[in-house]
Amino acid sequence: MQENALDKLLDTTPELWKGRRTNHRQQTLPTTYARLDKRLPGKGWPLGAVTELITPQPGLGELSLLLPVLAAISEQGQWVVLVDPPWIPYPAALQARGLSLERLLLVRTRNEKESLWACEQALRNGRGGAVLAWPARIGFARLRRLQLAAQESAKLAFLYRPASARQESSPAALRLHLQDGGHKGTRVSIIKCRGSHPPPPVWIPFSTYANTCHQTADHEPAVTHTSRTLLAGDPPAAPRAGSAYPRAERTGNSDSHQRNGGTPRTDH
Amino acid sequence: MSGGVSPGMPVPAARAILDSLHVIERDEAAEQSALERLAACCYRYSSQVCIPGDRAGLLLEAGASRRLFGPPKNLAKRLQGELGQLGYHALPGSAPTPEAAWLAADENGHIDSQAQIRRELGALPLGRLHLDAARIQAMQRMGFRQLQDLLRLPRKALTRRFGPDLPNYLDRLLGILPDPRKLYRPPESFSSCLELAAEIHACQALLFPLKRLLGELCSVLRGGDNMVQSVQVTLEHEDHADSLLELGLQSPTQDPERLLSVLRERLERLKLPQAVREIRVEAPKLLKFSAGQGALFHDTPAEQKQDIEQLAERLQARLGRQAVCGVTGVEDHRPEYSWRRRALNEAAECATLAHRPAWLLPKPSRCVIENYQILAGPERIESGWWDGRDCRRDYFVVRDSHGSLLWAFHEYKPKRGWYLHGIFA
Repeated sequence: MQENALDKLLDTTPELWKGRRTNHRQQTLPTTYARLDKRLPGKGWPLGAVTELITPQPGLGELSLLLPVLAAISEQGQWVVLVDPPWIPYPAALQARGLSLERLLLVRTRNEKESLWACEQALRNGRGGAVLAWPARIGFARLRRLQLAAQESAKLAFLYRPASARQESSPAALRLHLQDGGHKGTRVSIIKCRGSHPPPPVWIPFSTYANTCHQTADHEPAVTHTSRTLLAGDPPAAPRAGSAYPRAERTGNSDSHQRNGGTPRTDH
Repeated sequence: MSGGVSPGMPVPAARAILDSLHVIERDEAAEQSALERLAACCYRYSSQVCIPGDRAGLLLEAGASRRLFGPPKNLAKRLQGELGQLGYHALPGSAPTPEAAWLAADENGHIDSQAQIRRELGALPLGRLHLDAARIQAMQRMGFRQLQDLLRLPRKALTRRFGPDLPNYLDRLLGILPDPRKLYRPPESFSSCLELAAEIHACQALLFPLKRLLGELCSVLRGGDNMVQSVQVTLEHEDHADSLLELGLQSPTQDPERLLSVLRERLERLKLPQAVREIRVEAPKLLKFSAGQGALFHDTPAEQKQDIEQLAERLQARLGRQAVCGVTGVEDHRPEYSWRRRALNEAAECATLAHRPAWLLPKPSRCVIENYQILAGPERIESGWWDGRDCRRDYFVVRDSHGSLLWAFHEYKPKRGWYLHGIFA
């Protein structure tokens, strides 16, 4: 009888967990990346919880990781809300990946405070759907509020965080760290997942190019398809001059705190 | 009346008796417009509502909806509750004829059948009857005290003494003569104003009176089976131009909570130039209620749409209209012109292009191609000779030394050079 009650409690409270046993009550949606699904405690993205994606730089497949699930829910009529994405979503490309543009909502705010507010509002609203946000700085308490808001509305909440966030503690249910994994694709390490010990990392090849021509590795900048003559008009090479990935302007006047946390290598 | 003050007494006399008397001048126009708004609320319960021009009250036909609401007593209770929420104190009464119901309301009584009218109302003093005061005085002088005294007399004798009006009134009271009335028609727009007892300086304090006005608006809407999409709130100041608040919604509603949530955001950002003296709420256009609202389950696309519209309203109320949008494709080969913002109720259409990056940089940024490894390309894009933004570019998929997959192009026209334009996230 006593143990029964304990089991019940373990089953119904996602915050409680017991060693290796995974909690099956956590509702999830499959990521469709079989290798990742296998590693995640609920075999997918946790519903009604915050998932943090820590990316040292963009272009590692951090959106491709989510697009299958976003496409699936938008197909069902649920909405995908992007709160202050640093870049412009390219409609033709998103549509090609199955995302229904009719179900995509874009929110642009004037500063970080408004951005977090909008994010929380989006998470509190209605039931179901997904919210993606790019907060550069966010405290534990604020994250906890987002977590609670997501829980109430059974939403998928994805926060893109800069590499520095890795060291911070977080109430998020799932935290993934994305890194360049060489020829094997992107290395996705699970640094925290509620309900079990973090499993070992997986490698996901997001682009088909990854397998074919990555032998050149990191040090040797290779130009394979172009002839030198094409490059004649370039200014003399100053490595990494200027901002590599300029971000979208906010709607209002320029923000006092520049949000360059997401791409630490940009120099404004 | 307490303290010895009675109706018809001159104000100085009343003041002399009761020191603490607070005199409020009667504003008949305001009374009439309040009655009209209440009639709109009551229209929900009866299709036949009448505002008798000569007295302060409303007449509703309740018999037809007996099966829906039960006996008139229940309906009266419901109305009392609803009007009470709007800040009005209602004294209901019911009877088979309008005149009898009017008298019954004074007693808060409910008369079920025509036969009972005589018995129930017979003992009423003449002063209560809806007749002019001079005639009542004449009758009292002749020794009539109660209604039953009049009913006992033959009609002919009454006609001879008091003219044809009196027997006519009595016949309508008893239901012997029909009593047709001009029916109330629900309005095409809504306007209500509230003069504040004390000036309000703080925005948040405005919420309470506004809540009441919006509540009133929404009962009027429900009454007439209407919805609104935009509501105008005017805040009047002593000597300063009025402050205007436009509450715009994504879709029509009759739910006060939805209007309030938008209002709250607006009030939070509002700066009052001066204290507010009077509040006016107007809905210039009432829309017909359309079905398909309020689906049974919360997860249907219709419900989801409603939710997202509410979210958009709340965000726009605080962040401005341009803060929320969707995106849609534009037929143009140049990637930077191949998209635009779209309103939520606008359809999205777009060509499907595989092998394009999910993110576009807001502006192509110059790059040094030697730092990148080219993985695929070129894809030639040449377009725009007609609008002066002519360009010729070769696009490549490139990878930087940190493993990021990017979209770069080599431009030939108008300027030569290498640029980054997108991120394959």
